[in-house]
Amino acid sequence: MSDKKQTYTEAIQRLEAIVATLERGGLGLDETLKLYEEGADLLRLCKTELTAAEGRLNELQLGEIEAELQTEEQ
Amino acid sequence: MTGRGEVTTGALPIGQFVKLVKQTVIRDPLFKNQALRGEVTQWKQYASGHTYFSLRDKDGQMRAVIWKGRCAIDPSIKEGSEVVVLASLDLYIQRGEIQLNVERIEPVSILGELEKAKRLLVEQLRKEGELDRPRHMIPPLPRHIAIITGAGSAALSDMQRLIENRWPGLRRTVIGVLVQGPRATEEIVRGLAAARRLSNPSVAKKRGEPPVDLVIVGRGGGSPEDLWAFNLEPVVRAIIASPVPVVSAVGHESDILVSDLVADLRASTPSDAIERVVPVLPELYYLLDEFEERLSVASRRQIHDSKQLLSILHARLRVAPMAGLNRAKAKVLALSSRIQISAHQSLGLQATRLAHFEASLSAIHPQRVLERGYSMTQTSDGAVLSSVEGLEVGQKIILNFADGSADAEIKNTHTDEEET
Repeated sequence: MSDKKQTYTEAIQRLEAIVATLERGGLGLDETLKLYEEGADLLRLCKTELTAAEGRLNELQLGEIEAELQTEEQ
Repeated sequence: MTGRGEVTTGALPIGQFVKLVKQTVIRDPLFKNQALRGEVTQWKQYASGHTYFSLRDKDGQMRAVIWKGRCAIDPSIKEGSEVVVLASLDLYIQRGEIQLNVERIEPVSILGELEKAKRLLVEQLRKEGELDRPRHMIPPLPRHIAIITGAGSAALSDMQRLIENRWPGLRRTVIGVLVQGPRATEEIVRGLAAARRLSNPSVAKKRGEPPVDLVIVGRGGGSPEDLWAFNLEPVVRAIIASPVPVVSAVGHESDILVSDLVADLRASTPSDAIERVVPVLPELYYLLDEFEERLSVASRRQIHDSKQLLSILHARLRVAPMAGLNRAKAKVLALSSRIQISAHQSLGLQATRLAHFEASLSAIHPQRVLERGYSMTQTSDGAVLSSVEGLEVGQKIILNFADGSADAEIKNTHTDEEET
């Protein structure tokens, strides 16, 4: 399990908490701006994560992938 | 020796006895239509149509006969076959031999054996605690999925299509293996090993892609024998040993394989596996957009509230200095009146004291003394004389009276001491 995935889930959870706090209201300007910036950063991070999952589509026979790995592991 | 005579007279002809035994034997329900299992030996099919053989296992054996036309005989049955028969006990009177009259005969399917092995494996895994071991968490956002399945299979194209529908371009590596037949087990195990190597970060780095973080191993539906590799220990052990989460996706919904029992996630079919591990990208974006919207609305409202608070504070601040000034003014006024009062009081006091002073002063004024008959003597240069000492004969002096003065001259001096 890579840490990145953990980060995505954590980012979503943190976002939920931030939005809920802001929606509850009663915050000072300073705190509002701080939370907004944190939320915006988390959103950027999540979007980056989504694009990062797109990539190459390999379709190989067992023998081919084993041969590739053989050379890569040397 | 009477006994011998009785025995002789009471002796049964053997034939009758055998018949008696037969009656007993064939009437006993325990010996009727009994399912029996064993190995076929001395298998002989005669031209008459009858088939004779022995059914045996390591503990015992018995002769058996299948009368002509009594039941269908699977052509695969031969010497050494494991079979199950439905048979009743019979006694062949002419030879006095017990035998089985077979009503049905079935070869024990390979599947039966396999089922047994499967049960044993599951039992073993349960004992080892592998069935209850903690499972890997399925990544909520897989970055690189390895799919181990039959190359060019319908299951694979179903999975590919579903992935493209849900998350177009999601990074994946398909490892095409044989999923049935004698080499399936070995190939699936090697496929899992390859996936494990792809999950190694340094290998992944060399390949220029993220490490594999999720493995789907499976195949589409088929006969139980076709799916059997997923019930075999090497495959099962390879799944257990995987450092990344493994999804077992074999066959149809109803098929439960040992791989399902040990995998980190059991999917009922390959398509189900995709639906359970590949998120729908537009839904994720929708969720993020929703967060973005809520974040900005809530923040704006907060800022608006803060602004309002600020303007209230501002208004209060504007009136605040005046309030302060008024307070100061009032204070100054109060102070000045207090000063005035205290000044008045102080002045009055001074006036009284002054009057007293004047009175005492006037009491001791020299004029008053002179008026009482005393006179004051001064030298010609104005110094008041209070002693005879220092006066010289002929010195001019001035005598002051209450109503005027007179010039005089010292004729003689006397001190009080001289007189005494």
